[in-house]
Amino acid sequence: MSSIVISGDTSGAITLSAPAVAGTNTVTLPAATGTVQVSGNMPAFSVYAGSNSAGQTSATFAKVALNTETFDTANAFDATTNYRFQPTVAGYYQINASIYITAASNLSAYQLTFYKNGASYTAPNYSTTVLAGIILSGSVLIYLNGSTDYLELYAYAATVAGTWVITAGSNTTMSGSLVRSA
Amino acid sequence: MYEKIIVLYPELADFNFASGVIVLQNDSDGKGDYIAKWEHPTLAKPTDEELA
Repeated sequence: MSSIVISGDTSGAITLSAPAVAGTNTVTLPAATGTVQVSGNMPAFSVYAGSNSAGQTSATFAKVALNTETFDTANAFDATTNYRFQPTVAGYYQINASIYITAASNLSAYQLTFYKNGASYTAPNYSTTVLAGIILSGSVLIYLNGSTDYLELYAYAATVAGTWVITAGSNTTMSGSLVRSA
Repeated sequence: MYEKIIVLYPELADFNFASGVIVLQNDSDGKGDYIAKWEHPTLAKPTDEELA
């Protein structure tokens, strides 16, 4: 027998198959209750800003328009309208992000902030060192309920004068994946 | 938005707007800046007329 089929009570089936490769291997399941995680239920994504977002007002939180996908295995990232990650699998997600911001007349304060469900969730960094530009980085391990919860990336900056820019490219990016199901 | 608030309340020029007490926000949806939160202990939230 090369596979075992377990049928659902009403519909569906799961097939456990051994590879057609010589040798004996062992899969040990833990003595615990939970959902087995396989690639099909572990969303992962990587996106970046494909264009500059100029003219940002001083002292304002601006959503980062992450409009270009490198990959999005579960189609859970909206890179067109809302620039948000809203997975359909509940669990704990490791999220990493960076933002490259600049200002012609220097930045006077800046911060990377993760927003959950439209409100600030965590701001891993904040600085007031005056400079022309900086790449901010941050990460968070966050629970998303697999239905209504969503995550967005915001940049905050105050300037010495004038506006500031969220600069496109590989320095303005966000990526993440499920590390533990609910 | 920020410039209008500072004209209205010059004392906020040195205020830390990243603190979360007053949150000015732009959701990159084409609708521009707005006041997402105003919890300043003494200054009243500006009205739409004052910000127009």
